[in-house]
Amino acid sequence: MRRKWMFTFILLIVGFMVAVQYNTVQQPEERDTRDLWAIRNELAKERKLHSELLTEVRELDTTIGKYNASEGASAGKALADTVHDLREQAGIIDQTGPGLVIDVVPSEESIAFGTPLHEVSPELLTRFVNEVNRFKGIDMEIDGKRVTGLSAIRDINGETTVNGLAVSLPPFQIKILSADLESSEKLYNFLQSSSILDDFYLDDFVLEVGQPQSEVTINGRIEQFENHFLKELPKGG
Amino acid sequence: MWLPILGLILGVSLGFLSDIQIPQEYGNYLSIAVLAALDTLLGGIRAHLQRVYDDQVFITGFFFNILLAAGLAFLGVHLGVDLYLAAIFAFGVRLFQNLAVIRRVLLTKWSEYRKVSTTNTSK
Repeated sequence: MRRKWMFTFILLIVGFMVAVQYNTVQQPEERDTRDLWAIRNELAKERKLHSELLTEVRELDTTIGKYNASEGASAGKALADTVHDLREQAGIIDQTGPGLVIDVVPSEESIAFGTPLHEVSPELLTRFVNEVNRFKGIDMEIDGKRVTGLSAIRDINGETTVNGLAVSLPPFQIKILSADLESSEKLYNFLQSSSILDDFYLDDFVLEVGQPQSEVTINGRIEQFENHFLKELPKGG
Repeated sequence: MWLPILGLILGVSLGFLSDIQIPQEYGNYLSIAVLAALDTLLGGIRAHLQRVYDDQVFITGFFFNILLAAGLAFLGVHLGVDLYLAAIFAFGVRLFQNLAVIRRVLLTKWSEYRKVSTTNTSK
């Protein structure tokens, strides 16, 4: 009888331990350890997204309004406007607006030391583009090559290329267009204090960020986009 | 037979109901302790079936094994050697051995029982 109680006692302990172990293993994998500020930041991010989406909705509403208002004769014009807007968004056509012109030049030290001039590496350019892309609604051109969401900055046979076209040796120009002069001002200040200038300096280049201008023109993308997904409907279909 | 199972059920439900969770870093110790406990338990059942069971050996073995295993794991953590693997290996091997012995004893008992019942019916 005593043996039975002993086993009962031991099994009770074993069962308890197994249950506790199970509980421990089943703990939520990731605990929410954010503090107030982290949550605030997240909230701010979501708000920003919200406002961006609202802006987009407003734009689309305007387009719809335009379509509605221009029944009949000017429907074609409204369509053409939309196509123009889309082309502008895709970066196919030239664009003019407020923006910055940045000169990439070899640093004075490298000239004084006689360091051989070399290309800006794709990594550095990508870093620059990423840095600038923190700002929304900008259009960019590097040495005459339009940078869009589809652009690839990479090394082809030892040459740094944008969209498959070689970027020339410095000095060359980078032009950035923003929505308005105020944004350009912000971007200018941001770039002035950005560590990207140091990154360029480490590679023997200096970024001369010009004052914001009200009229800067950037080229459209030369090559056509490849479209694998959309198909044209037969006319009158 | 039923009392120990009741004990097990009681233990498990107690563990679940109390909702105790131990910190992740001690999870290793507990898992090894569970293994040691299971090993002792099966050892006890085997000893019981082989009629060599001793209360004191069983109880002291249970607690001593648990403490030793956890201590070994603790030492391993501080020495940077995964000593708890040694405990897992030792207990694992013994667990299977004990299970094999239990199975054999039960099989023998069962075949004896069948032999007896067949001779009884044939009489």
